[in-house]
Amino acid sequence: MNDQITVRVFEIVGSGDCISSEDGQRVYELMVRAFKEGRRVNLSFKNIDYVISAFLHPAIGQLYGRYDESFVRAHLAVSDMSQEDLPTLKRVVEDAKAYFKDPERAERARRSVLEEDDGDS
Amino acid sequence: MKLNLTDIKSSYEGFSLLSRLAHRLEGYLLEKVDIDMSHVGWFDANMCAPFGAILYRTSQAVNTVSIANIRSNIQTILCKNGFLANYGYPIMLDTYRTTIPYKRFERQDGRYSASYVNTHLRGKGMPQMTRGLRKKLLESILEIFSNAVSHSRTELGIFSCGQYFPKKDRLDFSIADLGMGIRQNILETRKIDLPAEQAIQWAISERNTTKTGRVPGGSGLKILREFISMNVGRMQIISDRGYWEFREGKEVLKRMVDPFPGTVVNLEFNTADTDSYCLASEIDPEDVF
Repeated sequence: MNDQITVRVFEIVGSGDCISSEDGQRVYELMVRAFKEGRRVNLSFKNIDYVISAFLHPAIGQLYGRYDESFVRAHLAVSDMSQEDLPTLKRVVEDAKAYFKDPERAERARRSVLEEDDGDS
Repeated sequence: MKLNLTDIKSSYEGFSLLSRLAHRLEGYLLEKVDIDMSHVGWFDANMCAPFGAILYRTSQAVNTVSIANIRSNIQTILCKNGFLANYGYPIMLDTYRTTIPYKRFERQDGRYSASYVNTHLRGKGMPQMTRGLRKKLLESILEIFSNAVSHSRTELGIFSCGQYFPKKDRLDFSIADLGMGIRQNILETRKIDLPAEQAIQWAISERNTTKTGRVPGGSGLKILREFISMNVGRMQIISDRGYWEFREGKEVLKRMVDPFPGTVVNLEFNTADTDSYCLASEIDPEDVF
Protein backbone atom coordinates (compact mmCIF):
# COMPACT_ATOMS: atom_id res chain seq x y z
CA MET A 1 0.00 0.00 0.00
CA ASN A 2 1.44 3.35 -1.08
CA ASP A 3 1.68 5.76 1.85
CA GLN A 4 1.25 8.88 -0.34
CA ILE A 5 -1.89 9.74 -2.21
CA THR A 6 -2.38 12.52 -4.73
CA VAL A 7 -5.33 14.85 -4.20
CA ARG A 8 -6.13 16.68 -7.43
CA VAL A 9 -7.52 20.12 -6.64
CA PHE A 10 -9.04 20.55 -10.11
CA GLU A 11 -11.13 17.42 -9.66
CA ILE A 12 -12.51 18.60 -6.30
CA VAL A 13 -13.18 22.18 -7.34
CA GLY A 14 -14.49 21.19 -10.77
CA SER A 15 -12.71 24.05 -12.53
CA GLY A 16 -9.45 25.96 -12.57
CA ASP A 17 -10.73 28.64 -10.16
CA CYS A 18 -9.74 28.11 -6.52
CA ILE A 19 -11.72 31.05 -5.18
CA SER A 20 -14.30 29.78 -2.71
CA SER A 21 -13.92 28.84 0.94
CA GLU A 22 -16.39 25.97 0.47
CA ASP A 23 -14.10 24.35 -2.09
CA GLY A 24 -11.16 24.92 0.26
CA GLN A 25 -13.06 23.19 3.05
CA ARG A 26 -13.69 20.15 0.80
CA VAL A 27 -9.96 19.87 0.06
CA TYR A 28 -9.18 20.14 3.79
CA GLU A 29 -11.65 17.39 4.71
CA LEU A 30 -10.20 15.01 2.13
CA MET A 31 -6.66 15.63 3.35
CA VAL A 32 -7.65 15.10 6.98
CA ARG A 33 -9.24 11.75 6.04
CA ALA A 34 -6.00 10.73 4.37
CA PHE A 35 -3.90 11.84 7.36
CA LYS A 36 -6.16 9.89 9.71
CA GLU A 37 -5.38 6.80 7.63
CA GLY A 38 -1.68 7.45 8.06
CA ARG A 39 -1.11 8.67 4.50
CA ARG A 40 0.92 11.55 3.22
CA VAL A 41 -0.76 13.84 0.68
CA ASN A 42 0.54 15.29 -2.53
CA LEU A 43 -1.80 18.20 -3.27
CA SER A 44 -1.68 18.77 -7.02
CA PHE A 45 -2.61 22.15 -8.51
CA LYS A 46 -2.30 20.87 -12.08
CA ASN A 47 -4.53 22.87 -14.49
CA ILE A 48 -5.47 25.43 -11.82
CA ASP A 49 -5.62 28.97 -13.19
CA TYR A 50 -6.46 31.15 -10.19
CA VAL A 51 -5.82 30.72 -6.48
CA ILE A 52 -6.79 33.18 -3.74
CA SER A 53 -6.35 33.24 0.02
CA ALA A 54 -10.08 32.67 0.63
CA PHE A 55 -9.54 29.16 -0.76
CA LEU A 56 -6.11 28.49 0.73
CA HIS A 57 -6.98 29.39 4.32
CA PRO A 58 -9.67 26.75 4.78
CA ALA A 59 -7.80 24.22 2.63
CA ILE A 60 -4.31 24.54 4.09
CA GLY A 61 -4.15 27.30 6.74
CA GLN A 62 -6.74 25.47 8.81
CA LEU A 63 -4.44 22.44 9.11
CA TYR A 64 -2.23 24.37 11.55
CA GLY A 65 -5.09 24.47 14.07
CA ARG A 66 -5.24 20.69 13.99
CA TYR A 67 -1.63 19.57 13.47
CA ASP A 68 1.71 21.00 14.48
CA GLU A 69 4.10 22.41 11.90
CA SER A 70 6.33 19.35 11.80
CA PHE A 71 3.36 17.10 11.06
CA VAL A 72 2.22 19.30 8.17
CA ARG A 73 5.75 19.49 6.79
CA ALA A 74 6.14 15.71 6.96
CA HIS A 75 2.72 14.81 5.56
CA LEU A 76 1.84 17.45 2.98
CA ALA A 77 3.51 18.32 -0.30
CA VAL A 78 2.25 20.73 -2.95
CA SER A 79 2.93 20.13 -6.62
CA ASP A 80 2.20 21.87 -9.94
CA MET A 81 1.52 25.24 -8.31
CA SER A 82 2.68 28.16 -10.44
CA GLN A 83 5.53 30.33 -9.22
CA GLU A 84 3.10 33.29 -9.21
CA ASP A 85 0.87 31.52 -6.69
CA LEU A 86 3.54 30.15 -4.36
CA PRO A 87 4.01 33.55 -2.62
CA THR A 88 0.25 33.58 -1.88
CA LEU A 89 0.49 30.09 -0.37
CA LYS A 90 3.56 31.06 1.62
CA ARG A 91 1.78 34.15 2.96
CA VAL A 92 -1.29 32.09 3.94
CA VAL A 93 0.89 29.52 5.74
CA GLU A 94 2.77 32.24 7.64
CA ASP A 95 -0.48 34.00 8.60
CA ALA A 96 -2.03 30.69 9.71
CA LYS A 97 0.96 29.83 11.91
CA ALA A 98 0.78 33.31 13.48
CA TYR A 99 -2.99 33.00 13.91
CA PHE A 100 -2.74 29.79 15.92
CA LYS A 101 0.08 31.16 18.09
CA ASP A 102 -2.71 32.98 19.92
CA PRO A 103 -3.52 30.56 22.77
CA GLU A 104 -7.24 31.37 22.74
CA ARG A 105 -7.60 30.64 19.03
CA ALA A 106 -5.48 27.51 19.31
CA GLU A 107 -7.64 26.23 22.16
CA ARG A 108 -10.86 27.05 20.29
CA ALA A 109 -9.58 25.20 17.21
CA ARG A 110 -8.49 22.22 19.36
CA ARG A 111 -11.94 21.97 20.95
CA SER A 112 -13.66 22.29 17.58
CA VAL A 113 -11.46 19.49 16.16
CA LEU A 114 -12.24 17.24 19.15
CA GLU A 115 -15.98 17.83 18.70
CA GLU A 116 -15.70 17.04 14.99
CA ASP A 117 -13.73 13.85 15.67
CA ASP A 118 -16.28 12.75 18.29
CA GLY A 119 -19.02 13.31 15.72
CA ASP A 120 -17.14 11.14 13.20
CA SER A 121 -16.71 8.19 15.58
CA MET B 1 -37.08 65.18 -4.07
CA LYS B 2 -34.32 66.54 -6.32
CA LEU B 3 -30.63 66.09 -5.56
CA ASN B 4 -27.69 67.56 -7.44
CA LEU B 5 -24.39 65.85 -8.06
CA THR B 6 -21.08 67.36 -9.09
CA ASP B 7 -17.92 65.70 -10.52
CA ILE B 8 -17.36 62.18 -9.25
CA LYS B 9 -13.76 61.00 -9.33
CA SER B 10 -12.02 58.10 -7.56
CA SER B 11 -10.74 60.43 -4.86
CA TYR B 12 -11.44 61.50 -1.28
CA GLU B 13 -13.68 64.25 -2.67
CA GLY B 14 -15.56 61.84 -4.95
CA PHE B 15 -16.22 59.31 -2.20
CA SER B 16 -17.20 62.11 0.19
CA LEU B 17 -19.78 63.37 -2.31
CA LEU B 18 -21.30 59.91 -2.70
CA SER B 19 -21.36 59.43 1.08
CA ARG B 20 -23.11 62.79 1.38
CA LEU B 21 -25.66 61.61 -1.16
CA ALA B 22 -26.18 58.35 0.78
CA HIS B 23 -26.67 60.33 3.97
CA ARG B 24 -29.25 62.60 2.34
CA LEU B 25 -31.17 59.64 0.95
CA GLU B 26 -31.46 57.90 4.30
CA GLY B 27 -34.97 57.50 5.65
CA TYR B 28 -36.75 58.10 2.36
CA LEU B 29 -39.76 55.88 1.75
CA LEU B 30 -42.16 55.82 -1.21
CA GLU B 31 -40.60 58.95 -2.68
CA LYS B 32 -39.64 59.98 -6.18
CA VAL B 33 -35.92 60.73 -6.11
CA ASP B 34 -34.45 62.69 -9.04
CA ILE B 35 -30.69 62.84 -9.34
CA ASP B 36 -29.75 65.88 -11.39
CA MET B 37 -26.40 65.43 -13.13
CA SER B 38 -26.33 68.72 -15.04
CA HIS B 39 -23.35 69.88 -12.94
CA VAL B 40 -21.37 66.69 -13.49
CA GLY B 41 -18.55 67.33 -15.96
CA TRP B 42 -16.57 64.18 -15.10
CA PHE B 43 -17.63 60.81 -13.79
CA ASP B 44 -15.04 58.02 -13.31
CA ALA B 45 -16.99 55.05 -14.65
CA ASN B 46 -15.73 52.64 -11.97
CA MET B 47 -17.49 54.89 -9.43
CA CYS B 48 -20.76 53.42 -10.75
CA ALA B 49 -20.15 50.64 -8.20
CA PRO B 50 -20.53 52.79 -5.04
CA PHE B 51 -23.04 55.11 -6.77
CA GLY B 52 -25.13 52.12 -7.84
CA ALA B 53 -24.97 50.60 -4.35
CA ILE B 54 -26.37 53.80 -2.83
CA LEU B 55 -29.16 54.08 -5.41
CA TYR B 56 -30.01 50.37 -5.07
CA ARG B 57 -30.39 50.82 -1.31
CA THR B 58 -32.72 53.75 -2.00
CA SER B 59 -34.80 51.71 -4.45
CA GLN B 60 -35.01 48.88 -1.90
CA ALA B 61 -36.74 51.36 0.42
CA VAL B 62 -39.50 51.56 -2.24
CA ASN B 63 -38.41 54.85 -3.77
CA THR B 64 -38.36 55.51 -7.51
CA VAL B 65 -34.94 56.74 -8.56
CA SER B 66 -34.45 58.72 -11.78
CA ILE B 67 -31.28 60.20 -13.22
CA ALA B 68 -31.61 63.25 -15.46
CA ASN B 69 -29.68 65.93 -17.34
CA ILE B 70 -26.59 63.86 -18.01
CA ARG B 71 -24.01 65.32 -20.38
CA SER B 72 -23.82 63.29 -23.55
CA ASN B 73 -20.20 62.10 -23.13
CA ILE B 74 -20.94 60.80 -19.63
CA GLN B 75 -24.25 59.31 -20.71
CA THR B 76 -22.46 57.39 -23.46
CA ILE B 77 -19.98 55.78 -21.03
CA LEU B 78 -22.64 54.97 -18.43
CA CYS B 79 -24.88 53.46 -21.11
CA LYS B 80 -21.97 51.41 -22.47
CA ASN B 81 -21.18 49.92 -19.08
CA GLY B 82 -24.85 49.11 -18.51
CA PHE B 83 -25.25 51.33 -15.44
CA LEU B 84 -27.96 53.59 -16.83
CA ALA B 85 -29.99 50.59 -18.01
CA ASN B 86 -31.09 50.34 -14.36
CA TYR B 87 -32.71 53.77 -14.71
CA GLY B 88 -34.49 53.35 -18.02
CA TYR B 89 -31.74 54.31 -20.47
CA PRO B 90 -30.78 52.04 -23.38
CA ILE B 91 -27.74 49.77 -23.25
CA MET B 92 -25.16 50.89 -25.81
CA LEU B 93 -22.62 48.66 -27.50
CA ASP B 94 -19.14 49.20 -26.09
CA THR B 95 -17.38 49.17 -29.45
CA TYR B 96 -13.88 49.68 -28.02
CA ARG B 97 -14.58 47.36 -25.08
CA THR B 98 -12.77 49.41 -22.45
CA THR B 99 -15.46 48.91 -19.80
CA ILE B 100 -15.96 46.15 -17.27
CA PRO B 101 -19.75 46.44 -17.00
CA TYR B 102 -21.59 47.52 -13.88
CA LYS B 103 -23.02 44.45 -12.13
CA ARG B 104 -24.75 43.56 -8.91
CA PHE B 105 -23.90 40.11 -7.59
CA GLU B 106 -25.50 38.02 -4.91
CA ARG B 107 -23.15 36.73 -2.22
CA GLN B 108 -23.23 33.21 -3.65
CA ASP B 109 -22.20 34.27 -7.18
CA GLY B 110 -18.47 33.66 -6.63
CA ARG B 111 -17.79 31.61 -9.73
CA TYR B 112 -19.87 33.87 -11.92
CA SER B 113 -17.85 36.85 -10.71
CA ALA B 114 -14.61 35.14 -11.84
CA SER B 115 -15.97 34.53 -15.29
CA TYR B 116 -17.37 38.09 -15.52
CA VAL B 117 -14.01 39.68 -14.74
CA ASN B 118 -12.05 37.22 -16.87
CA THR B 119 -14.28 37.71 -19.91
CA HIS B 120 -14.21 41.49 -19.78
CA LEU B 121 -10.49 41.74 -19.10
CA ARG B 122 -10.01 40.05 -22.46
CA GLY B 123 -12.02 42.67 -24.37
CA LYS B 124 -10.33 43.88 -27.52
CA GLY B 125 -9.94 47.36 -26.07
CA MET B 126 -8.25 46.06 -22.95
CA PRO B 127 -4.47 46.41 -22.66
CA GLN B 128 -2.05 43.72 -23.75
CA MET B 129 -0.73 42.53 -20.41
CA THR B 130 1.77 39.85 -19.58
CA ARG B 131 0.21 36.52 -18.57
CA GLY B 132 1.54 36.99 -15.03
CA LEU B 133 0.10 40.51 -14.69
CA ARG B 134 -3.32 39.46 -16.00
CA LYS B 135 -3.39 36.53 -13.59
CA LYS B 136 -2.39 38.60 -10.54
CA LEU B 137 -4.78 41.38 -11.54
CA LEU B 138 -7.69 38.95 -11.76
CA GLU B 139 -6.73 37.23 -8.51
CA SER B 140 -6.61 40.65 -6.82
CA ILE B 141 -10.14 41.43 -7.93
CA LEU B 142 -11.33 38.01 -6.77
CA GLU B 143 -9.71 38.63 -3.37
CA ILE B 144 -11.88 41.73 -2.91
CA PHE B 145 -15.02 39.95 -4.06
CA SER B 146 -14.30 37.24 -1.54
CA ASN B 147 -13.55 39.79 1.18
CA ALA B 148 -16.85 41.56 0.55
CA VAL B 149 -18.74 38.26 0.72
CA SER B 150 -17.13 37.03 3.92
CA HIS B 151 -16.88 40.26 5.91
CA SER B 152 -19.79 42.50 4.95
CA ARG B 153 -22.61 40.09 5.84
CA THR B 154 -24.67 42.09 3.36
CA GLU B 155 -28.01 40.87 2.04
CA LEU B 156 -28.16 43.53 -0.65
CA GLY B 157 -25.43 42.16 -2.88
CA ILE B 158 -22.07 43.29 -4.12
CA PHE B 159 -21.67 45.99 -6.76
CA SER B 160 -18.78 46.18 -9.18
CA CYS B 161 -17.62 48.19 -12.16
CA GLY B 162 -14.34 48.78 -13.97
CA GLN B 163 -12.89 51.11 -16.56
CA TYR B 164 -9.68 51.02 -18.56
CA PHE B 165 -8.11 54.40 -19.27
CA PRO B 166 -5.84 53.69 -22.28
CA LYS B 167 -4.11 57.09 -22.31
CA LYS B 168 -3.05 56.68 -18.68
CA ASP B 169 -2.27 52.92 -18.86
CA ARG B 170 -4.55 52.49 -15.86
CA LEU B 171 -7.40 50.14 -15.12
CA ASP B 172 -9.67 51.05 -12.20
CA PHE B 173 -11.95 48.49 -10.63
CA SER B 174 -14.33 49.18 -7.75
CA ILE B 175 -16.31 46.82 -5.57
CA ALA B 176 -18.88 48.15 -3.11
CA ASP B 177 -21.07 46.48 -0.54
CA LEU B 178 -23.79 47.74 1.78
CA GLY B 179 -22.68 45.67 4.74
CA MET B 180 -21.67 46.44 8.29
CA GLY B 181 -18.36 48.12 7.44
CA ILE B 182 -14.87 47.44 8.72
CA ARG B 183 -15.12 49.47 11.92
CA GLN B 184 -18.25 47.66 13.09
CA ASN B 185 -16.84 44.27 12.09
CA ILE B 186 -13.71 44.81 14.20
CA LEU B 187 -15.82 46.06 17.09
CA GLU B 188 -18.12 43.03 17.00
CA THR B 189 -15.52 40.34 16.44
CA ARG B 190 -12.46 41.67 18.30
CA LYS B 191 -14.09 44.14 20.71
CA ILE B 192 -11.72 46.87 19.52
CA ASP B 193 -13.35 50.28 19.08
CA LEU B 194 -11.41 52.36 16.56
CA PRO B 195 -12.19 55.49 14.53
CA ALA B 196 -13.27 54.37 11.04
CA GLU B 197 -10.08 55.35 9.22
CA GLN B 198 -7.89 53.63 11.82
CA ALA B 199 -10.09 50.55 11.61
CA ILE B 200 -9.22 50.29 7.90
CA GLN B 201 -5.54 50.64 8.74
CA TRP B 202 -5.91 47.94 11.41
CA ALA B 203 -7.49 45.57 8.87
CA ILE B 204 -4.68 46.09 6.39
CA SER B 205 -1.90 45.65 8.98
CA GLU B 206 0.19 42.50 9.28
CA ARG B 207 -1.33 39.62 11.22
CA ASN B 208 -4.58 41.44 12.06
CA THR B 209 -7.78 39.60 11.22
CA THR B 210 -11.38 39.68 12.35
CA LYS B 211 -11.51 35.88 12.07
CA THR B 212 -11.92 34.10 15.38
CA GLY B 213 -12.86 30.52 14.43
CA ARG B 214 -10.85 27.51 13.34
CA VAL B 215 -10.23 28.83 9.83
CA PRO B 216 -7.61 31.57 9.82
CA GLY B 217 -7.80 34.52 7.42
CA GLY B 218 -6.97 38.15 6.96
CA SER B 219 -4.39 37.66 4.23
CA GLY B 220 -6.42 39.02 1.30
CA LEU B 221 -5.98 42.76 1.84
CA LYS B 222 -2.29 42.33 2.64
CA ILE B 223 -1.71 40.33 -0.54
CA LEU B 224 -3.49 43.09 -2.49
CA ARG B 225 -1.41 45.80 -0.93
CA GLU B 226 1.82 43.92 -1.74
CA PHE B 227 0.75 43.48 -5.35
CA ILE B 228 -0.36 47.10 -5.76
CA SER B 229 2.96 48.22 -4.32
CA MET B 230 4.95 46.13 -6.85
CA ASN B 231 2.62 47.18 -9.68
CA VAL B 232 2.94 50.89 -8.75
CA GLY B 233 -0.84 51.17 -8.71
CA ARG B 234 -3.22 52.63 -6.18
CA MET B 235 -5.56 51.11 -3.62
CA GLN B 236 -8.37 52.91 -1.82
CA ILE B 237 -10.67 51.63 0.90
CA ILE B 238 -13.71 53.58 2.06
CA SER B 239 -15.75 52.28 4.96
CA ASP B 240 -18.06 54.15 7.32
CA ARG B 241 -16.38 57.56 7.75
CA GLY B 242 -12.94 56.20 6.98
CA TYR B 243 -10.86 56.86 3.87
CA TRP B 244 -7.60 55.00 3.32
CA GLU B 245 -5.37 55.28 0.27
CA PHE B 246 -2.12 53.56 -0.64
CA ARG B 247 0.02 54.79 -3.49
CA GLU B 248 3.74 54.70 -4.21
CA GLY B 249 4.54 53.32 -0.78
CA LYS B 250 2.59 56.00 1.08
CA GLU B 251 -0.60 55.67 3.09
CA VAL B 252 -3.15 58.47 3.39
CA LEU B 253 -5.77 58.32 6.14
CA LYS B 254 -8.71 60.71 6.25
CA ARG B 255 -12.08 60.97 7.86
CA MET B 256 -15.19 61.83 5.85
CA VAL B 257 -18.02 63.98 7.17
CA ASP B 258 -20.72 61.47 6.20
CA PRO B 259 -20.39 57.71 6.48
CA PHE B 260 -20.50 55.45 3.45
CA PRO B 261 -23.15 52.81 4.24
CA GLY B 262 -20.82 49.84 3.71
CA THR B 263 -17.38 49.40 2.21
CA VAL B 264 -15.80 50.25 -1.15
CA VAL B 265 -12.47 48.97 -2.39
CA ASN B 266 -11.04 50.64 -5.48
CA LEU B 267 -7.99 49.15 -7.15
CA GLU B 268 -6.09 51.07 -9.80
CA PHE B 269 -3.72 48.86 -11.77
CA ASN B 270 -0.77 50.04 -13.80
CA THR B 271 -1.35 48.10 -17.02
CA ALA B 272 1.97 49.09 -18.58
CA ASP B 273 3.76 47.02 -15.94
CA THR B 274 5.85 44.27 -17.53
CA ASP B 275 7.05 42.44 -14.40
CA SER B 276 6.24 38.76 -14.40
CA TYR B 277 5.26 38.57 -10.72
CA CYS B 278 7.50 35.68 -9.92
CA LEU B 279 9.76 36.61 -7.04
CA ALA B 280 13.40 37.20 -7.88
CA SER B 281 14.34 34.00 -6.05
CA GLU B 282 11.88 31.26 -6.79
CA ILE B 283 10.04 29.61 -3.92
CA ASP B 284 10.67 25.91 -3.44
CA PRO B 285 7.28 24.27 -2.71
CA GLU B 286 9.04 21.98 -0.24
CA ASP B 287 10.04 24.98 1.87
CA VAL B 288 6.55 26.47 2.14
CA PHE B 289 5.35 24.53 5.18
